[in-house]
Amino acid sequence: MTPALEISGLTKRFGDNLAVDHIDLGVPQGSFFGLVGQNGAGKTTTLSMAVGLLRPDGGSARIFGTDVWSAPERAKAMVGVLPDGLAMPERLTGREVLTYLGLLRGLDKDVVRQRAEELLAVLELDGAEKTLVIEYSTGMRKKIGLATALLHAPRLLVLDEPFEAVDPVSAATIKTILRGFVAGGGSIVLSSHVMALVEQLCDHVAVIDKGRVAAAGTLDEVRGARSLEDTFVELVGDQDTGVKELSWLSH
Amino acid sequence: MAVALTMAQMKVAVLRHAFHGRRAQTAGTGAALGALFAAGTIYLAFVDPDLLAAGYAVWLLGWMLGPVFMGGGDETLRPEYFSLLGLPPRRLAAGLLVAAFVGVAPLVSLTALLGLLVVGVRLGVANAVVAVPAMALQLAVFVLLSKVSVAVIGLALRSRLGAIASGVLNGAILAALGQIWVFFVAFGQTGVPAAVWYLPSGWGLLAVQGDWWALAALAVLVVLLLGAWAALLGRRAGATRTSARGRRPMTAATVNGAIVAKELRTWSRDLVRNHQLTFALSYGVCFAASPLILGWDGMLPYAGPIFVVMAAAMASNVYGTDGTALWLTLMTPGVSDVRGRQLAWLSAQAPVAIVLTVVFTAITGGPWPLMLALLSALLGGAAGLVPLISVFALVPGTDPHRRAGNPLRTSEDDGGLTGLAYLMLVLVIVTGVPAAFVAVRYGWAGVAVGVLTGVLCYWGFGLLAERRLCSHGPELLDVMRTGRKPETTVKFRLDQLSKTQKSIVWWCFGFGAIPLVPQGIIATVFVANDMLRHSWFLATYMPPGLRYPVAAAFILLGLAMYGTGLWFVRPRPSGEGAAA
Ligand SMILES: Nc1ncnc2c1ncn2[C@@H]1O[C@H](COP(=O)(O)OP(=O)(O)OP(=O)(O)O)[C@@H](O)[C@H]1O
Ligand SMILES: [Mg+2]
Repeated sequence: MTPALEISGLTKRFGDNLAVDHIDLGVPQGSFFGLVGQNGAGKTTTLSMAVGLLRPDGGSARIFGTDVWSAPERAKAMVGVLPDGLAMPERLTGREVLTYLGLLRGLDKDVVRQRAEELLAVLELDGAEKTLVIEYSTGMRKKIGLATALLHAPRLLVLDEPFEAVDPVSAATIKTILRGFVAGGGSIVLSSHVMALVEQLCDHVAVIDKGRVAAAGTLDEVRGARSLEDTFVELVGDQDTGVKELSWLSH
Repeated sequence: MAVALTMAQMKVAVLRHAFHGRRAQTAGTGAALGALFAAGTIYLAFVDPDLLAAGYAVWLLGWMLGPVFMGGGDETLRPEYFSLLGLPPRRLAAGLLVAAFVGVAPLVSLTALLGLLVVGVRLGVANAVVAVPAMALQLAVFVLLSKVSVAVIGLALRSRLGAIASGVLNGAILAALGQIWVFFVAFGQTGVPAAVWYLPSGWGLLAVQGDWWALAALAVLVVLLLGAWAALLGRRAGATRTSARGRRPMTAATVNGAIVAKELRTWSRDLVRNHQLTFALSYGVCFAASPLILGWDGMLPYAGPIFVVMAAAMASNVYGTDGTALWLTLMTPGVSDVRGRQLAWLSAQAPVAIVLTVVFTAITGGPWPLMLALLSALLGGAAGLVPLISVFALVPGTDPHRRAGNPLRTSEDDGGLTGLAYLMLVLVIVTGVPAAFVAVRYGWAGVAVGVLTGVLCYWGFGLLAERRLCSHGPELLDVMRTGRKPETTVKFRLDQLSKTQKSIVWWCFGFGAIPLVPQGIIATVFVANDMLRHSWFLATYMPPGLRYPVAAAFILLGLAMYGTGLWFVRPRPSGEGAAA
């Protein structure tokens, strides 16, 4: 079976900084794939290249076997993306954003209306009917972003830190949605810093460290008998000095 | 009074510090220039009270509008500094007012107001005595009007109405400056309008000349303005924007319809774009209508075309203003975002431009072929160039939700934005040239040419923009995300230039239009139509053999000025910037 997302040899260099160094990853169909790594490890850069938002210096990315860079139209129709920190059409309300994007994705007007209605209700954004996206809170922005990723019912979701700044109640809702999506045959890649959350949701994990894959495989393969957090700290932590302290901060 | 004195002392202290460093030079230059103006004003007092009244009206304008164009005026002592002290607004305003009298500008203005004393002394003892309180009150009116207008505009820019109003005002002022000759000619012919006497700037003079009530009126005005300013100071801190407006549901059913709907909503809900659109409209109308003051309506029909050119310049960074929202376009590669934006731009601007052109041309009774040719050529040209320029010379904007307090600041690189706007002005005008030329020579054939070039520009430039967006989409997104241009793209930057180069560029772009358009192109039209000895069009005063050459020379001069300006800001690889 072709993987839902296949990354081979992706490389990106920013000036002297080799942000992503020949990363190979395969996301099997129907899997819930967690990408973890320290700040600046290269998660956002990798995911951006994988979905065609950032041009790699080398390597390739395929979505269900379709190359993202040579056949973007077909590949991008199959994926829903939640990028980290990018803008939306800011002067539209949540419903208008969904209507606009649905039509852009070629959906029928009535289908768009119905899906927008449901998404806004499930994500509890329907209370802010008259609020423009620019006036949304950080968590609301994440939620409308997630709604746009789900709108066209893609087969693969690529989510960059979807739970950041989301309140616990909404997080529970989102988890339910995502689990349902996987149960229905969809595939998800998400990046996160919350190990417990990745352990709870994902069946596959990759640990990225300084632009390379430090470990990858099913959750149990990667963590073994320990918790994911311990494995993570051991894989990427600074072994020789341990945790540093700010000496001047104690009285 | 203790508060007021303390504040005045603070101001003196701040200014003393400020005037030690490099700012002393700037302040010194400003003071010298101001003293020169003041001396000129006093001289007017010896010549003609009418002119003096007009002079004071100019001082008033300067006090009121200067801060709008120069970053909010004197904010040495900010009201916020004192907000934790819990002073009542009136005492705060009175204190700040006293402090506001400390400074170079008030001193210079007071010198200019010595003209009142001169007039008084020449009229008699009583008049001279009245002149002293009149000077003080008049200065208070200047300073207070300045403070109040800055406060009002600061508040205004937070609301749609305010953005529109300031757009109208800015457009009118810039148009008036561009057409300043009209006012010179007008005053030369009809003398100083009586209105200058009744502006608050003239009341001091009225009082000195024996209309004692004017002195009382000045005093009342000072009290009223002080009250208004105190009230505005209270509003300055807390006011936030409410958004409980009703929203139209989006009814589009097609891809293009969706893009148009999105764009139109963005335009109508974004205060910056509200401001820009009304600016363009106000500029076009005021620029074209100002010669009416001289009883000449020949420029009136050009309001529409001028509006189109200005509106295009305002939209020159249309992709940059949306910031990283570009990623959505990248994720839907089958969709022509450019065409949607072109349609949206046209559907917002074309109706206004068409109505303006048709109505004004009907009023003046022609020249129909030229106006319709220009209109169609410019609309098409602008609709093609707007996406093209904004994709090829993108200036990274600040993402809308990350912008700070001032809504008019859409990018950190305002030098780049200004360069882009000028580039757009020139290029859009160029797209109108062929049609205008044919229309002037052959009449209605020009309209056909205009429609043809308009459609070609719309289609061709749109296609180029679309291609570029497809091939360089990720790079453009990266530019938006980091705010930095990669090594390979070009820069239109004013800030790389030296001071002299910058002022050359400003002069070239700012005044290149005068030889090119009125003295060149319009004069050619007049000469071609045998309309001779026309107001200030030099070529129409020439002997027959010299008319066309003179007009042609002006056109060349104008083009050379734009060429020089463009050469200075020409695209160059970013590495070369430091050397330039
Ligand atoms: N546009 C850019 N220009 C230059 N350097 C960049 C750019 N984008 C990312 N980097 C660098 O690349 C490296 C990887 O960044 P990336 O955003 O992928 O990290 P991340 O794993 O997503 O981190 P976080 O967990 O903090 O989101 C960092 O060192 C970052 O400084
Ligand atoms: Mg990241």
